[in-house]
Amino acid sequence: MEVIPIPSNKDTRLHAELHETVQYIKDIMGDSPDLIIRDMTLAQDWHIALLYMNGLADVQMIQTSILNSLIENSSAYNSDQTMHPLHYMKEKLLSVGDIEWMHHFDTLFTHLLSGDAILLMNGYPDALRIGVTGREERSISEPTSQPSIRGPMDAFTETLETNVSLIRRRMKDPQLWLEKYSIGQVTKTSVAIMYQKSLANDDLIKEVKQRLNRIDMDGILESGYIEEFIQDHKYTPFPTVYNSERPDTIVAGLLEGRVAILIDGTPFVLLVPGLFIHFMQTSEDYYQRSDISTLIRLIRYLSFFIVLLAPSLYIAITTYHQEMLPTNLLLNLAAQREGVPFPAFIEALMMEIVYEILREAGIRMPRTVGQAVSIVGTLVIGQAAVEAGIISAAMVIIVSITAISSYVIPANAMSISVRILRFILMGLAASFGLFGILIGSILLALHMNSLQSFGVPYMSPIAPFNLDNQKDTLFRIPWPRMIKRPSSINPKDSIRMARSKGTK
Amino acid sequence: MKRIGQMIVVCVLSLSLMTGCWNRRELDELGILSGVAIDRAGKDYQVAAQVIIPDQVNSRTGGGKAPVTLYKAKGATLFEAFRNLTTTSPRKIYTAHIQTLVLSEEVAHEGVAKVLDLLVRNQETRMNYVVMVAKQVPAEQIMNVLTPLEKVPADSLFNSLETSSNIWSPVSKITVDMLMDQLTTEGIHPVLPGVTTTGNAPASQAATKEEIDVPVKLVLSELAVFKGDKLAGWLSPSEARGYNYITDKVKSSVGHLKCPDGKLLAIEIIRTKTKLKCMLVNGEPVIEVLVETDSNIGEETCNLDISSPVTIKELEQNAEIRANTLMKKSVDTMQQKYKIDIFGFGNLIYKTHPKLWKTLEKDWDEHFSKLQVIYKTKMHIRNTGMTSNSLTRIMKE
Repeated sequence: MEVIPIPSNKDTRLHAELHETVQYIKDIMGDSPDLIIRDMTLAQDWHIALLYMNGLADVQMIQTSILNSLIENSSAYNSDQTMHPLHYMKEKLLSVGDIEWMHHFDTLFTHLLSGDAILLMNGYPDALRIGVTGREERSISEPTSQPSIRGPMDAFTETLETNVSLIRRRMKDPQLWLEKYSIGQVTKTSVAIMYQKSLANDDLIKEVKQRLNRIDMDGILESGYIEEFIQDHKYTPFPTVYNSERPDTIVAGLLEGRVAILIDGTPFVLLVPGLFIHFMQTSEDYYQRSDISTLIRLIRYLSFFIVLLAPSLYIAITTYHQEMLPTNLLLNLAAQREGVPFPAFIEALMMEIVYEILREAGIRMPRTVGQAVSIVGTLVIGQAAVEAGIISAAMVIIVSITAISSYVIPANAMSISVRILRFILMGLAASFGLFGILIGSILLALHMNSLQSFGVPYMSPIAPFNLDNQKDTLFRIPWPRMIKRPSSINPKDSIRMARSKGTK
Repeated sequence: MKRIGQMIVVCVLSLSLMTGCWNRRELDELGILSGVAIDRAGKDYQVAAQVIIPDQVNSRTGGGKAPVTLYKAKGATLFEAFRNLTTTSPRKIYTAHIQTLVLSEEVAHEGVAKVLDLLVRNQETRMNYVVMVAKQVPAEQIMNVLTPLEKVPADSLFNSLETSSNIWSPVSKITVDMLMDQLTTEGIHPVLPGVTTTGNAPASQAATKEEIDVPVKLVLSELAVFKGDKLAGWLSPSEARGYNYITDKVKSSVGHLKCPDGKLLAIEIIRTKTKLKCMLVNGEPVIEVLVETDSNIGEETCNLDISSPVTIKELEQNAEIRANTLMKKSVDTMQQKYKIDIFGFGNLIYKTHPKLWKTLEKDWDEHFSKLQVIYKTKMHIRNTGMTSNSLTRIMKE
């Protein structure tokens, strides 16, 4: 089959001859059946063609706003007028809001494939792009990955425009700016950045734009692609770009002066800079009473350390530092270990890996077999392994508490990275005991402190320490007391509320 | 990327190949030592190590068999004897959780310092186990008795010593660090609690029989007094009680008073505080023992009207006299019979009158035997319990 070369020059102009243009488009797209070409001759002998993609454009709207208008009203055109007929249509006939001139093939293809209708006319090397996008989309539903008890129950969808509207709906400010890019040579994915112009630091905005511009890839399917391109450090287990499917979380970030990056086709919106503390916060912290939120936050940090250290501490203490255990506990653990054939480290490693397998299976398996997997997981691996004497019961407890604690960390990305580090610490504990854990923890602290997210120290405001920002770090101070915005993000305006009103 | 890859390979290889997992011991490779008994066997030391069988102690898996086992070994030095244990024990003896150390009288006579050296030098061992002297029986026999309530006999000893020393004044709990303290402090000699067995049946059969009253039990008995690190003799329970009051070791206890009609009245001591003072009278040191005690009436069988403050006052005076007598008896025994200062009076002089101590230091024991001690007890009876007068008195009325 003959391959039609795609116009290499981006500026290939449309042809004046209608049939040439149409034929060219057909050739390039391989005469695709979902490309609808409506050829028609209107009054005044206007030979026009309306092109749109079936399924992407709203057929109802094409019918009422374009075809009806053209057919009914084109006769009103006075041939004396020197006005360009297409211009006349744009100005007088078409009752559509989003309408624009086009002159080149590459933009024509982009818009055609985005769902716009293209109006061509014989004799003119120009075209009109008419925005009638009306593809099928998922309606707004509840957030599935970040549920909450109290708080808004809407989540982003796969449509960029819907997502922008969900944010705009919450921030009715002209200073909330939106900029759109198209990233991906093939996918031409719409990527938008949003920021509150009066708050977000100009350097930060510039940096985000620069990093987005550097991406040169064939396709962007999810925000994860963008995240990996724009993060400061590639070799770290820790996420440095925040993501959320909750509009309220993103708006809260915008109000702190952070920049949101929305990607068409995914409900996950990115937020930069993403600091360590952000991954330990949930939007619900701010909706519940501050004392409850503080308690829950402290529990989250505790869980962080449990996930990180529980298995390794167990290994270290039971194989190197038995003198640290109370005598009765030692006897209890020793009794459980009688006859267990593996060293504690192997035992722990086995159980942790089994847990990771179960977890992954739980996510990937079809819903219908869920029951079977959970029965096998709990009964066979948990109970039977202990009863068979292959695993000690204490180890099952350790693995379980680790597993449960890992789900207390609100951000999945953070929870995964801690689970990875846990294995490293287990290895260190098995080889060097508590000294190994200490060394590992020191290295970890050094690493975490060396990280940055868009120039902001990752551990701020814990390190470098900032007393003012502690109001929203481990603790969550009541709203009327949170007068200032977090200063680590360097917002242009640091005062969140009128002092006199806020502190009442 | 290449460099990081190389670094990861180096780290993994060095972690897995170069480390010998130094000092790593799995829990099931440990012979957890609960108690040690040290005897003399001719020239050698004989060590009896009571090792816990974790399976049998665990409430889920245990039952049926003895919760501990005893390994014995001999050696010219203690260290050798300990290592010699491995010829009988399949696991390396792990000493960190030792609860009780029992010395035979013979070993105590020779001096405890030699024995302690090994145990204190070992970095593994905790310093909070108790030390006891086996009275009249071989130390090994103490480790050979099974105890029904606490599965591990050494634990049982440790716990009964702890409980008793809290609520029964003749008993004092001496841990190894306290003993070392007493050995190395000037002007004080150490004491250790004694332990013995009752009953005649072969000791090892004790708890295996399904009897409620086990034939052989461990009993805390008298108080061993040492001159330096060598056993010098024993104090009876009532003398031990005086010792504990003077050294402020009593937390709470029970004592009795004789009423005018010859019947008895029990007093529960709930708080007591002792202060020692050293005064100089004509250049000679005089020790003043000030005891302040809060107590309740615990049992009254002698028809007194204890609802009257006057009676209470009288009782308090009686009690004060009795307390003074107890302490005096204890000090008298030490001054006349042994001439050993176990009370730390010398240490008190050393602290308060260091210059005077220099002159007394050399023959302190001689000076101690002539030391004048004044006893002042302040007894407060705070409470008479849930009733006031006794049932017998109420019935008569």
